[in-house]
Amino acid sequence: MKYVELGLREAVDLVRNGQVKATEIVESYLNHIESADREIKAYLTLAADRALSRAREIDARKDKGRLAGAVVAIKDNIVTRGLRTTCGSRILENFVPPYDATVVERLEAEDAIIIGKTNMDEFAMGSSTENSAFFPTRNPWDLERVPGGSRGGSAAAVAGLEAMAALGSDTGGSVRQPAGFCGIVGLKPTYGRVSRYGLVAFASSLDQIGPLARSVEDCALITSVIAGFDRRDSTCADRPVPDYLDGLGNFQEKIKVGFLGEASLKGINPEVASSYRRVQELISGLGFEVVRMDFPSWEVALPCYYIIAPSEASSNLARYDGVRYGLRAGAAELADMYVRTRTQGFGSEVKRRILLGTFALSSGYYDACYARATRARQAITAELQAAFRRVDFILTPTTPEPAFKLGEKQDPIAMYLQDYFTVAASLAGVPGISIPCGLTGNGLPLGLQVLSEPFAENRLFKFAFLLENNIKFENNMYGINTRGRRKNEN
Amino acid sequence: MKVDLEHLSRLANLELTEEERKILPGQMEKIIDWVGQLSSLATGEEEKYHQVDFSLRLEEDEVRPSLPQAEVLAMAPEKQGDFVKVPRVFREK
Repeated sequence: MKYVELGLREAVDLVRNGQVKATEIVESYLNHIESADREIKAYLTLAADRALSRAREIDARKDKGRLAGAVVAIKDNIVTRGLRTTCGSRILENFVPPYDATVVERLEAEDAIIIGKTNMDEFAMGSSTENSAFFPTRNPWDLERVPGGSRGGSAAAVAGLEAMAALGSDTGGSVRQPAGFCGIVGLKPTYGRVSRYGLVAFASSLDQIGPLARSVEDCALITSVIAGFDRRDSTCADRPVPDYLDGLGNFQEKIKVGFLGEASLKGINPEVASSYRRVQELISGLGFEVVRMDFPSWEVALPCYYIIAPSEASSNLARYDGVRYGLRAGAAELADMYVRTRTQGFGSEVKRRILLGTFALSSGYYDACYARATRARQAITAELQAAFRRVDFILTPTTPEPAFKLGEKQDPIAMYLQDYFTVAASLAGVPGISIPCGLTGNGLPLGLQVLSEPFAENRLFKFAFLLENNIKFENNMYGINTRGRRKNEN
Repeated sequence: MKVDLEHLSRLANLELTEEERKILPGQMEKIIDWVGQLSSLATGEEEKYHQVDFSLRLEEDEVRPSLPQAEVLAMAPEKQGDFVKVPRVFREK
């Protein structure tokens, strides 16, 4: 257990100073994963040999990168050369990509060690990881409950000490929501901040890769490495990347913080609401001005998302036709081969969303559905932009309720409501981070979402770091605080 | 709004099981009615697809290595020589 308890920053410092070998750290993770993952089931593919040989190579080298010895898990919709990438789908069950995603290249260039690929809802469609074609992942805090989704495997791996950090993708909240459910930190960067090259497309105007880690500092370090211009993604912004570790712990600004009015909190879990009120008291106590805000257009953010995302998905997933890679079902003629391959390869939620998107884009419905949703998206974006002229940050609960039980949500709309607080930022392209902010009466973690203006991740990290230190979420499931030390030590 | 599932599944190249045929229309109509809330929002006229502005840039016209042909072909479910093989395209009379 010893090394798996170390925070990422701390472990990297030890490896870079030569006090601990990367190999020892990887071995300790592999041992822990062997027992812990029997219950949690976070990994679809473990890259034990690849990780060990990488670690040996790093140990033998004098110059070590900024992430030397960092043990990182990768969501299984981010391609890794030579390492199976399934997207949680039968249609890609045996797909071994011939190239690395830009984010994977950048992590490895700084000597991060990829330990495996984590489970997810099929093609990232879901909020519980129950839609994985292979098996559901369980929440390390309560094995009866879901870890969130769609990147539930990544969050469960980090919370269950099966990785120091993980990469995932956030389309409508799939980094922030599982981070909230699993008591860890997760960032969805500004759209365009991180290259999507090598991320299997779900909804291209919304998808963004982001890190999950056990602390704000660890998230900031990983973001510093993966962010920045990439000529292979035409939507990746050509802007300088600051060192996001710079100035953490030094937040002197006098700021205004936006909180949702009571109207927006109607119907949410009472423990979520009361923890949110405690955060407001904390913010006032720190001397910041609290501004109550209403976001009338957020009411339609979810329906808007559930037109735009399936529409883009129905188009993006047209590429799975059994011709060049992935599953192919036998048929005598090409047209039948397409239909059989897709019918066998896709699960029911994916089919439902493809059909919804096909409907929204089909002749006669396009104006009523897709065109209207893109206009609503403008209104949601404008409302957030206006809000950021009045306040510096907006705080919301990450989810309307804590982690629910496996099998509890049978109705698709009930599942979609999980994204209530997270989709507006996705539609508007602004960055959002979820940090743990407390536990429910029966010991389940709750998340707090902090939103900021586009490309203001440096301020977002600073403010989140301040909140993290004041909230003092120390009692995680292993009794280890966010700095990686046991509660009663130091 | 009514959903013509047969038509949609043809457009999407999907075949539905008996059970999906039973459950999906109701579920989808419920979702589409829920999405109908959108009409309550007064919105502008412009359709925009990205919220963060990008300046479009031009790439140099230069030769760069592509993925190795052998590796790409190795992923194909069926191949013949240097080609990906598929079942016949046209039906025989």
